[in-house]
Amino acid sequence: MIKGVLLLLVMQAGGALLQQLCLPMLPGPVIGLLLLLVLLLVLGRIPQCLEQASAVLFQYLPLLLAVPATGILLGGDVLLAQLPAISGGLLLSLLFCIPLCGWMMQRLIAAETDDD
Amino acid sequence: MTDPLLQVIHSPVIAIALTLAAFLCAVWLYRRSGWLVLQPVLVTMLIIIGGIRLLGLDYQAYREAVVPISWLLGPATVALAVPLYRNVRRIRQALWPVMLTLLVGGVAIVALTLLFARWLGADVPVLMTLATKSVTMPIAMPLAEQLGGIAALAAVLVMLTGVAGTAMLPPLLNLCGVQHPAARGMAYGMNAHAVGTARALEEGDECGAFAALAMGALGALTAVLLPLAFLLWHLLLD
Repeated sequence: MIKGVLLLLVMQAGGALLQQLCLPMLPGPVIGLLLLLVLLLVLGRIPQCLEQASAVLFQYLPLLLAVPATGILLGGDVLLAQLPAISGGLLLSLLFCIPLCGWMMQRLIAAETDDD
Repeated sequence: MTDPLLQVIHSPVIAIALTLAAFLCAVWLYRRSGWLVLQPVLVTMLIIIGGIRLLGLDYQAYREAVVPISWLLGPATVALAVPLYRNVRRIRQALWPVMLTLLVGGVAIVALTLLFARWLGADVPVLMTLATKSVTMPIAMPLAEQLGGIAALAAVLVMLTGVAGTAMLPPLLNLCGVQHPAARGMAYGMNAHAVGTARALEEGDECGAFAALAMGALGALTAVLLPLAFLLWHLLLD
């Protein structure tokens, strides 16, 4: 478990370093994700310790996300001033794009398997 | 209220306890009710905000106190490589569908959001901020700034999109007959980034893997293509 967390931290640190050096537009943890993926592809398997650490972290993912979500307290003024336009834009686009993305992907996968 | 009591209330212990208690309540409510609208991220957030207001805590002090919790989001993001790796063969098989859906869906998400918001009367800084709303927060905030939007508002819009999207996703996908775990995962990751990915992981490993892929790829694509698109737009207009 601790070994797995350590591995995640090393990858995150590597990601942060690469971000500083050459990829300023991507967040460090996302680059760390790619580094870990490359490592796993090279290894050809998932180490037990990593499996445990990721399972624990995923279990509490909503908790970790809820903390930055409280930032809603800060951006309140502009949000309230243009609430109808903002919420309308958000909700209407979700209403169209959720079915679009899911339906399109499902159709394309079906078409692909038909070809084989 | 006595001074010692006030001191305890404003200590980091209470901030962390409030956060954990809010999460436990939210998970209990979610399991008990079975309502997908009451997703844990939304309810935890609402209980924490209620607690902060009720106890009269300073928001900045609260955020500093809960750094031990929020800091784990970094390693958790890196850990998304695990479900991705487990499904790497499936992803490779579906490479073309993934790329096409990302491109068409990604353009539609930005274009429709801007169109509806403009139509409802949003001003330009808000529009520039809205353009980034479907991307995970650490990408969206600097991107919004770069486009002439408002970084603090970007964080709020991203969270609103994640929370509202995750509430709307399961019923909408069911309604449209989207059953394939990969297709559901793509819709989760593209429309509701990390919050959607957390929910997709609940549906299963394949769904979670495609959600993580969609979130990461859409984030990277948006970070690169959106500034270019706006640059072109300005060139054509001037």
